[in-house]
Amino acid sequence: MNLDWLDAFLIFGAFKVIEIMGLGLLVHLQLGLTRVANFGVVGFWGLGLYAFGVAYLKVDWPFGDVYQFLICAAIATIVAAAAGLVVGWLISDLDDDGTLVGTLGFATIVVILATTQQGLTGGALGLGGLGFPYDFGRVKTHEFTWLLITTAVVVLIFVYAWRVHRTPHGRLLIAVGANEALARSLGKSATAARLRMMMVTSGAMGLLGAMHGVMVRSLEINSLDVSVTLAALAALILGGTARVFGAVVGVLLTVALFDIVIQFYIPIPDGWNTQALPVAREAVFGAAIVLMLIFRPQGLLGQMRRPALMRRLHGDW
Amino acid sequence: MTGEDLRPQILVRDVTKSFSGRVVVDVDELVLGDVPVEGLLGPNGAGKTTLMRLIMHSIPLDGGRVTLSRPGQRDVVLSATRTSQMAGLGVVKSTQVITDFEHLTILDSALLAVTEARYERPFAAAADRTVRKRHEDEIRHWLDYFGFDDPLAVALSGGDKKLLDIVRCLLLQPAVLLLDEPTAGLSEDHTERVKSAVRELAGKGTSVVIVEHDLDVIWDLCDEVIFMAEGKVLLKDNPATIRANPTVVESYLGAGSA
Repeated sequence: MNLDWLDAFLIFGAFKVIEIMGLGLLVHLQLGLTRVANFGVVGFWGLGLYAFGVAYLKVDWPFGDVYQFLICAAIATIVAAAAGLVVGWLISDLDDDGTLVGTLGFATIVVILATTQQGLTGGALGLGGLGFPYDFGRVKTHEFTWLLITTAVVVLIFVYAWRVHRTPHGRLLIAVGANEALARSLGKSATAARLRMMMVTSGAMGLLGAMHGVMVRSLEINSLDVSVTLAALAALILGGTARVFGAVVGVLLTVALFDIVIQFYIPIPDGWNTQALPVAREAVFGAAIVLMLIFRPQGLLGQMRRPALMRRLHGDW
Repeated sequence: MTGEDLRPQILVRDVTKSFSGRVVVDVDELVLGDVPVEGLLGPNGAGKTTLMRLIMHSIPLDGGRVTLSRPGQRDVVLSATRTSQMAGLGVVKSTQVITDFEHLTILDSALLAVTEARYERPFAAAADRTVRKRHEDEIRHWLDYFGFDDPLAVALSGGDKKLLDIVRCLLLQPAVLLLDEPTAGLSEDHTERVKSAVRELAGKGTSVVIVEHDLDVIWDLCDEVIFMAEGKVLLKDNPATIRANPTVVESYLGAGSA
């Protein structure tokens, strides 16, 4: 595969766009449908990244690359899903403020553990040695292939989120998020519904963390900063938390704008890419959240359009 | 319970509830379900709604015990049961305050009420249409009965939300139905429909308990009336006797009401 036309940094920029899109879609299920304000996205994603990395590097697996990746990615998914279950249970009786602080606290714990458990994680120095589960020769080919594989995973997440809106499971999540007491009176266990949703979405966040580890081929503590959560939330709030396409549109207008359009297609002074731009990116994302919440809290795509969806699904009623 | 009149009953024993030191419910013994339809009367603050909420265990009891007794089945202590398990046991309550699920359509609400838990799991294979197919007749019956012209829309008016709440309760096919001001804010026509639906349900064996300030509904519908004041059950008798009771007239109905 001749990829000389493709800039390696562009591949990584596109990977970040796809990755945040996946996280945004999962936050859509948590916040947009079930009204669980998860401010600890980076915790579940980072737990997956580190669980994958530690399992990959610290265990002497008797398998080849593909199986080693699959098993370690499964471990990352299961660990993050289990964390989602535990955190979901701990925050199950908390209000929105408590949920926000609780999930933020969880992410902080993950960062502290990754930093202090040096024997496992390499601490602040990190660990190198992660690799792609295939060998085609050139690094750029590997990265591009990994971008395609990650895109396929995020497409699956999109299809799942899209389908959730069309199933009894999605209806239950909307009901629990909108009026928990009323849902309970109909015999619905709001706690069980939230725990299942947290388990599935957190597990998928962990899987995306594992895929990130393969792309960067190392464990770096700097990757666990608030920018991951901020990017996913800013994109979703901008696009619209209640719509599946909210995360897609939001990511295109935020992460893609900064990490692809501005970095590669706008002539900016040397040095800005590494210093000023990342800082400006965080500031703009933060400002976007504040402004959207003030002036258009439902996001660019607006509210959930349930009647229109129900007419498509049950138009013959 | 013996004979053909066996009905589900709720036994309330030594139940107390206080808010900020003020006793709002203090019931020594009360059996609900002796007759098909019972009314719960009393002035504001009598403890009627709180008693219903205690039965549903949506608020914790300070003391006492609430038990569900169903013919041919083991008794269940409702005061040790989670609210979300009540509907599964057949104990269903309408809401006093008008409330609904934001964003969900009328059909969504009806489908939500009837959907079994196995279809609501994250990776359940069954499509929405499967659930609809299983329950379409009953949903269509009640939505048509209450005049919902467009079930694919969101209920907007208070009256529609109130009726939808009743529809959800009816779709749950309750053994015991607690209705808290079910006709408040409804038109005369809809009030009559609610009354007919309650009669139909009670005729099929459901025990119905109604809290209602529209006294005509109570007198028309109830086989027995319980009068509460200051958290206590003061009287339990047929509507005519309750209506003529001096205590009820003096503290609730007012002179000339009989």
